[in-house]
Amino acid sequence: MNWKQYQNELIVLITFLLLIIALTYKNVKVSWAIENSHTITSSLNELKEIIELKKRWADKATTKRVDKLQNIVSSSKLKWNKKSKKLTATYIDINSRELNKVVTTLLNIAVQIEKLEIKQTGITYRVDLKCKW
Amino acid sequence: MNFLGKSRGLVVVYKNMTQLSLNETTDIVLTPQFYTMKKEKLPLKYAFQAKKIAPSLFDNLLDSTEGIEYFVYREGDEWVFLAYNPDEIYASLLSKNIKAEYIGKIFFAQQILKFLTMPLMLGDSEALVAIEGSVTVIPQSVLQSNVRALTLNNSMTPKNGITIQGTVSSLLTKKQAYILASIFFIFTLIFLGEGISNNGGSNKAQVDLNKLLESNPSLQSEYTRDSIAIKYRTIDKLERKKRDNIKSLARLIFKGVEVETFIMTNKKLSIRFKCVSTKIAKHLVSLAKKSGFKSAKTLTWNIVYIEVNL
Repeated sequence: MNWKQYQNELIVLITFLLLIIALTYKNVKVSWAIENSHTITSSLNELKEIIELKKRWADKATTKRVDKLQNIVSSSKLKWNKKSKKLTATYIDINSRELNKVVTTLLNIAVQIEKLEIKQTGITYRVDLKCKW
Repeated sequence: MNFLGKSRGLVVVYKNMTQLSLNETTDIVLTPQFYTMKKEKLPLKYAFQAKKIAPSLFDNLLDSTEGIEYFVYREGDEWVFLAYNPDEIYASLLSKNIKAEYIGKIFFAQQILKFLTMPLMLGDSEALVAIEGSVTVIPQSVLQSNVRALTLNNSMTPKNGITIQGTVSSLLTKKQAYILASIFFIFTLIFLGEGISNNGGSNKAQVDLNKLLESNPSLQSEYTRDSIAIKYRTIDKLERKKRDNIKSLARLIFKGVEVETFIMTNKKLSIRFKCVSTKIAKHLVSLAKKSGFKSAKTLTWNIVYIEVNL
């Protein structure tokens, strides 16, 4: 077969094949870039999340913040035992307003509440609290 | 195209030729019967310039310029212009039983001028001779009877010729093919450019990631990172659940309802509400269930108990 007979078609076919190859190359690069971008973005988001979580739950300032729980009621109503990064506290004979304040303050501090016990004794409350950070 | 530089056969085709049987690709030399020639001394440097002005040179020489193409080359200090009709040539070749697939390159007799020092016989009645720089077909009768004849061989094959098959038997014309090829080529370049320039598109994210890793060297190891992530995600999930539950339970306290006991550990949370009436106790249970505390129940007429697993 004399391919020259079809040389015009061949020219078009070859350039078309080149076009397909270039298009495939571009698509592969774009897919790779999207995948790569997703991986990087997801790693970045994960890292940000870890840093944020660590900052919240292992914050050195928490030790100071926990002291707020000590100042809500008078010392006569409180048994306070704070050692290292652990706290055991007992609030005795506190009224409902003080109870609310203790609970609200506690919930706003990033500590791990291991035990929280509230018991009504007449018109007052007793609160046993154990937490760590 | 002769990729290997292999020599092909060379035959002269003329108008009165009888049928020619070819069974391999052969180059063809056309006699002046198939073209019109003009020689001009022109101050032109390149063949493409000469080709551009070729049509104007044949204005009064050709009956019609429709379908005419031009072949141009330099012969000494003169430019040789050859006008030919590919359709006519192709039809003539076919009429002589020359199949398109066996047609190699086509040359013009004028191109073998330098070899025509003696006549080249065309059949029994005609001969190809060079007269004053022009290759011409003459009757053999005007030649001397003992004249030596030239034998054509492939060493006489000129450098450049034309290809007729592509233009005549093709589905696409040369112009159409070049336009399409150019369009495809432009798109090829665009796609290649886009592909090359697309190097991830996330440089900013990568820079941010590197910065964060630099400022937190302990997180550079993926293993450490995963371990820290699991630890703090677990704490975060549990502590959020505890706080959310306490907040939801606090919303259940209204006039006539008091918290009697509340116990929360890492595993469980339970609460006893003391209500002033059965009606309020029932209302509290339904309210608790609406808030998602499915375990809400009355223990006695005025005590409502809720338990949640953490």
